[in-house]
Order: sequence, then structure tokens, then C-alpha cells
Amino acid sequence: MNSTATAFIRPRRPARLGRLGATGLGFALPVSLFLLVAFDVPVLMMFGWALTSAKGMFAPFVEFFTRPAYIKVILNTLRIAAIATVSCAVLGYVLAYWLRSLSGTARLVALTLVVLPFWVSILVRSYAWIVVLGNNGVVNRALLDLGLASEPVAFLYNDLGVVIGTTNLLLPFLVLPLYAAMIRIDGRILQAAETLGASRWTIFRRIFFPLTVPALAAGMVLVFILTLGFYVTPAILGGGRVPMVANMLDMLINRLPRWELASAISILLLILTLLLHLLYVRLSRQAGN
Amino acid sequence: MTEPGHLPRLLLTLAGITVLLFLCLPIVIVVPMSFSSASSLEFPPPGFSLRWYQAFFGDTRWLVASGYSIAVALVSSTLALLIGSIAAYGLVRGSFRGRALVESNVMAPLIVPQIVTAVGLYIYFAKLGLLGTLFGLIVGHTVLAIPYVVLVMAVAIRSFDLRIEQVALTLGASWPTMFRRILLPNLAPSAGAAWIFAFVISFDEVVVTIFLAGGIETIPKRMFNELVLQVNPTITAIATLLIGFSIITVGALALLMRGSGTVRKALG
Repeated sequence: MNSTATAFIRPRRPARLGRLGATGLGFALPVSLFLLVAFDVPVLMMFGWALTSAKGMFAPFVEFFTRPAYIKVILNTLRIAAIATVSCAVLGYVLAYWLRSLSGTARLVALTLVVLPFWVSILVRSYAWIVVLGNNGVVNRALLDLGLASEPVAFLYNDLGVVIGTTNLLLPFLVLPLYAAMIRIDGRILQAAETLGASRWTIFRRIFFPLTVPALAAGMVLVFILTLGFYVTPAILGGGRVPMVANMLDMLINRLPRWELASAISILLLILTLLLHLLYVRLSRQAGN
Repeated sequence: MTEPGHLPRLLLTLAGITVLLFLCLPIVIVVPMSFSSASSLEFPPPGFSLRWYQAFFGDTRWLVASGYSIAVALVSSTLALLIGSIAAYGLVRGSFRGRALVESNVMAPLIVPQIVTAVGLYIYFAKLGLLGTLFGLIVGHTVLAIPYVVLVMAVAIRSFDLRIEQVALTLGASWPTMFRRILLPNLAPSAGAAWIFAFVISFDEVVVTIFLAGGIETIPKRMFNELVLQVNPTITAIATLLIGFSIITVGALALLMRGSGTVRKALG
């Protein structure tokens, strides 16, 4: 009783009560130890493999950069990622702009539909495109029935299929932050421009669009990063004919064991991703997310 | 912006709906396909049947794969929830040296491409003899789930007023009592959401699983292997079951998060 009263009158460390201070580290310790053993060490070991190969210190890197076959896959990956990024940007901008013009229930329903695919497995969503775009698929049926094509169009097992699938999968990653940036724009700025006699197009071009550029750029960088490491979609919709970095790594690990080469390529992919991620963080900070 | 005219407005609506359709097309198509009576991927389906669901539930290999998927997801999401939530509390309420470093380390599995994690873990587990073991698979999935748990829990803890904890401690509650009577009940809905997040991450995981699982088949791994080989309509039935499962989880999340904006904040 007495001690409780004392504690009530004179709490110890009143300013820091409830704050953990340095003890916070203790709380973070289990997760840190777990990640050290199960994530940090494995990633660092790849550096070991790539740098201490039997053929010399940088041999795997040299081999990678001097073999046209590997370079071709890298260029192909960058190209697909760039195309997917641009198509996500165009479609995403239209969708976000439309979402912004909606109100009430319509907006809620549309936003739910944008978020919903997040919860459906990538595998399922990639697979669905086989049904939609295959030779017997919905799109080809329609094209043939309407007389727009005389034979099925090859949408699958080529770059086009991979780009369509990737764009579909990554669109929400761009739309949601972009939409958030659009609704943050102060309507009074736009009204002021209108009062001053600017046309609708001028307002969009000179005020609205520039204000959304950081969010758009951040979303594009994010889509680009995610496409770089894509494995499932190129394997399913590319049918092995559109090799990307991840599929090449699969081959180097699971088919012909070339661990040191796979490690070297993984390290390069990791470094590129981290650099782009820094850019992403910077852009999203600018966008105010 | 100011009200656009009728024609631009109509065009914008059309364009918006088209993109939204494109986004949802896969889900809209797969569900009716799973009830098709044809063994080709015809759309619209020529007739209704449950044969692909029978094919799924009648195949022991699919059922075994379901068992592994659920077991791995249960264990790894629970482990990630435990150590991830504790870490989130330490990161939000603590101020210690190297806090930024710990934070980046916790978020790293989300940023590092999964394929890189897969290659790293493959070589590491090969050396340790853990390839093709349930233990290795669970460890890999836990690594991937941790960032999501920490993200959701950090938002929840940050939005829980520190002063409530302080009042409990000032009134003489010991830290464990405060934890049990104040923190636990208040953070339980967010913990539930974080657990569901982690479960789904593990349940849907393909890339790391393909590299680490060896002979163990989970649902996504088996689906992937079948898809690369041939088009099998049984997959539409599994896909529909998975979509149903996703909708139930999102519903559960919405219930858990009702009134608090945690999920939206975590996703945004």
C-alpha cells in the first residue's frame, strides 16, 4: 500500500517512464539474431562465393561480362522492365486520375477492386492470362469471330505476353501512391489558376501534372525494381522463350550448378536494386508519402 | 480540378473502367472457368460441372501439398509474428544505438529481390544440409514474412498513445502486468492482421519455395510445375479456391481493422 503511494507520488525516471530507451535493443534482438543467421550470412556468403572462386578473384564477374549470352539476358530483362514500367505509368495515370474524379461509394468500390488483386496469388493471376490470351482464349476467339484476324494472334510465349502479365501484376503498386498524391493536391491552387483564366488543359499541363511527377516517378522506379527480379511470370507467360535474369539464375543453380556465377549475378542484381531503391526512397519523400 | 465537360468526362470514365477491367480480368475469367465441363480452356464454358473440384479433392498429391502449405504457413507466420512484434515494439518505443541499422535489416528481405534471397539461401542451406527440409522452408518463409509483420505492428504501436502505458506504470502496474492488461488487448486486432498478412505471404510464396523445397510440394510449387509443363484445368479450381480464401482473409482483415486505418497506412 505504502509503496504504491510512494510510486504514485514520486515515480522513478518520470520523463522516461514507458519509453524503452536502450532496452529497445533487447526487444529487437531475437529478430536481429534470426535475420543474421537466416538472411544476412547467406547473402554475405554469396560475396564469398563470387569473390573467392577457384579461377581467380573476379573470375565469375569477368565471365559474366564477356559472355554475350549472359549480356543478352540482362539487356532483355532491362528492356522488358522498361516497357512494363512505361505501360504501368500510362495505364496507372489514367486509372488514378479517374479514381480521383469519383466520389462516395463508387470510389470505395473502385479502390477495393484495385487492392483486391494484391491478395490473389501471382501464380493465379499469371495463369489467368493463359486462359485469356491463348490461341483458344477469349481475346483470340473474339478477334476471329469479328473477322479482325484470320488466324490466332500469338500473345503468349513472347515478350508481349510477359509485358501484359507484368503490367497487370504491378499496376496497383503504381496506382495507389499516385492516387494518394493526386488527392493531396490542394484544389484551391487549381481554382486559382482557373480564376486567372487558364484553360483546363493548361491547368493540367502546368500545375496538376507537375505536382504528380514525384509520385509517378517513384511508382515507376518501384515497378522497374520489381520487374527486374520477376521469376514466375516470365516462366509461365514467356514459356521459356523470354529469359530474364531470375530464370537465368534458376538455371545456374538448379540445372548446371554454377554457384559462383549465380552468386556474382545475384550480387550485381542486388547492387542495382539497392541503388534504385535509394532513388525510390528519395522520390517518395519528395512526393510526401 | 474543376468539372470537366461532358465529352472528356465520358472518355475518362471509359478509360478508367477499361483499365480497372484489365486489372481484374484474371480474377473475373478464372472463376467461371473452374466450373467448366470442358477439358480445354474454352471461354465461355460450354457447360457447368464440378469435375475440376473433384479432380483436386480426389488427388492425394494435391491434398498432401495443401497440408504442407498450411503447416509451413502456420508455423512461419506465428514465428514471424512473435519475433516481429517484439522487435516492432523495441523499434518504436526504444532509442538505442544502431536503431536505424536494425530497422534496415528488418526491412531488407522486402527490398532484396526474392530471387537473390532464394539463391543465397539455396547455397547456404546446401552447405548446411537443410535443402528439401521442412525446417529450411519454414526458416525461408519466416525471413520473408518478418518485414510485413514489423510494418503492420509498428504502425499499430506508434498510433497507440504512449501515455496510456505510462499511466498504467505510474499507477503501479509492473511492466508484465501493463503488457498483459493494456498492450495485449489493444494491439490484438493488429496482431491478428499482421498474422494473416504473414500467413498469406507464406501460403502464396513460389520463388524461394521452388529453390529450397526439394521434394516437398506446396500448393504454389506444384501449381507452378504443372503450369510450366501443360495447361491443366484443375488449376482453375485451385485458383478459385485460392481466390475464395483471399476474399475470406481480406474480409477478416477488414473486420479486425474496422475503425483503425492500420492496413491502409501499412499498404500506402
